[in-house]
Amino acid sequence: MANNGVVNKVFEVLEKQLNQPLKTALEVCARCGICAESCHYYVSEPKLEHVPAYRAEQLRKIYRRKYNFLGKHFPSIVNAEELDEGKFDKLVEMAFSECTLCRRCTFNCPLGVDTPLVMRTIRAMATAAGKAPEILVMLADSAIAKGENPEIFKEMFIQQISELEKELKELTGNPHATIPVEKEGARVLYVGLAGAHTIIPPAVIFNEVGEDWTLSIYEAANYGVFLGDVERARKIAKRIIDEAKKLKVQEVVIAECGHACAALVWDAPNWFGETFPFRIRSIVELVAEYIQKGKLNLDPEANPEPVTYHDSCNLARTGGIFKEPRVILEAVVKDFREMNPNGIENYCCGGGGGLVALPEYYEKRMKAGKPKAEQIRKTGAKIVAAACENCKLQLGDLNNYYNLGVEVKGLVDLVANAILYKKKAKVILS
Amino acid sequence: MSWFDFSKLVAVTSLIFFGGGLIYHYYKTKQLRFPADFARPKGSYKIGVIYSFTIGMMPWVKESTRKHWIAYLRGVIFHIGIFIGIAVLILNLVRVNINSSFVKLFAIIVGLGAIMGFSGIFMRIFEKNLRKISTLDDFISVLLVSLFLTFVALSLVNLKFSSLMYFTSGLTFFYAPVGKIKHCLYFFFSRFFFGIHLGRRGIVHKYTEVLYGE
Repeated sequence: MANNGVVNKVFEVLEKQLNQPLKTALEVCARCGICAESCHYYVSEPKLEHVPAYRAEQLRKIYRRKYNFLGKHFPSIVNAEELDEGKFDKLVEMAFSECTLCRRCTFNCPLGVDTPLVMRTIRAMATAAGKAPEILVMLADSAIAKGENPEIFKEMFIQQISELEKELKELTGNPHATIPVEKEGARVLYVGLAGAHTIIPPAVIFNEVGEDWTLSIYEAANYGVFLGDVERARKIAKRIIDEAKKLKVQEVVIAECGHACAALVWDAPNWFGETFPFRIRSIVELVAEYIQKGKLNLDPEANPEPVTYHDSCNLARTGGIFKEPRVILEAVVKDFREMNPNGIENYCCGGGGGLVALPEYYEKRMKAGKPKAEQIRKTGAKIVAAACENCKLQLGDLNNYYNLGVEVKGLVDLVANAILYKKKAKVILS
Repeated sequence: MSWFDFSKLVAVTSLIFFGGGLIYHYYKTKQLRFPADFARPKGSYKIGVIYSFTIGMMPWVKESTRKHWIAYLRGVIFHIGIFIGIAVLILNLVRVNINSSFVKLFAIIVGLGAIMGFSGIFMRIFEKNLRKISTLDDFISVLLVSLFLTFVALSLVNLKFSSLMYFTSGLTFFYAPVGKIKHCLYFFFSRFFFGIHLGRRGIVHKYTEVLYGE
């Protein structure tokens, strides 16, 4: 079972990552177990393996054996254990499939134990040891490759965008509506995701307010983050940072995507060790600002059905974006119903941490999403709005799995709908 | 040297060892990298840190403590008992007389703290998940502290328990820097980092707002 190569690599990563917050997270837990019910896995399936303290304890045992006085000399007192490859495989499985890094346990812990940091460390160890899920590695590497050779796909991308531009003109009835690409000196660089659905609604909004914007040729998604691999994540983010610097924009605006937003707003400056010469924020924040400044002419009648909102963990608990979505929803929907709990206390949908991209864990994430499904059902809403692509995918799957009978939409979809309704133009989101 | 003086010496030495141990852990942790944050803040880290150590500790702020307020209250009383117990120990060691009107009050609080400590041990034994995540260190630590509190409370009622108070404090404070009790230091690191997160990211403004549905 023992494989010194893997074990050595794992400890190399642990040593490298061991900073003040990580050491604190590994030392501070009092094992009171009060975190149990804060975890959506535990709520849906109350078993020991789903208690956040138990999960973090699996790495702490290994850590204590190497770094703790009692762990070294009297291991049985602190349950310290030697690491072998078999144990590490179990750790990896746990970190990638039984924790969505949602931070709900941290917010509910009287000591503020950063269990997601412990899980991210295990993910980083797994990636370095070649044990991370292949799909995530592949997705991250293909994004890096795209950044290294943008010319290969750029022409095709611009051609696709010109088709979308025609669609935009038709939708808005505005012959001057545009989707500029690589416009130097634009105020805003908007970074979308794969698919027109993350480009058309924001384009409707930008054209409506007369924003000086340009579209990024890259996608915001960053699978390096899910791998806990700073080097890969940095390379993926670098494409966008370099593009923003080259175009001399004042602001980079990220599509509705929780992890991409968290990565670019909060992590990327630290990966590069600099404060960027432009602001980075979520499109949710920008649209809320437009509304508050009266730049958008919206009609809530466009969205008459009951709507509830799912707070993405990355936006709310990681990024502090939980007021802005409500500013938007109050302006664009007629019947907004809160889930309970919500905001920073909201349950994770079960698709976070890259789980949505891993088909082998489908059943696990459906089970983990049960509390969210129940929350949605209780609101009686017909539309579930979310501002995160992974959440939307998971909510769509939950809708089918639990027969919720709802439609999943983005906040920008609802805003674009309200703009177009007002213009008496064709409604895009039927 | 009398038995009483010897017990006092043990207590003083253990307190010095405890203080030295915490200073050691503090510097070992501070030697590690503190990740610089270059991201543009959405709010003030100071507000976040203040919140984290004050309102953020209130039982009504977290769902977990709202649901399990009895367990949380048990912990709070236990820890209040510890603070007062240590204060009583130090006052005794430096021969400062505690005002008689406080003696009974302190005895009750520290005694309650001891009861809460022992009940914590029972909770760890009887609650299945808690038992499984517990280590021997958890039991040793809580048992030592609970015994220490018991003898502090008894010594406040009857001075003949003072030697036992000093001996149990000796055991507790010699063990503390190597066992789980050192979380009393890491608590400050942890809540500080959490506060920075809450503040810089604009999660806490004047207070955390959580909206509830019907």
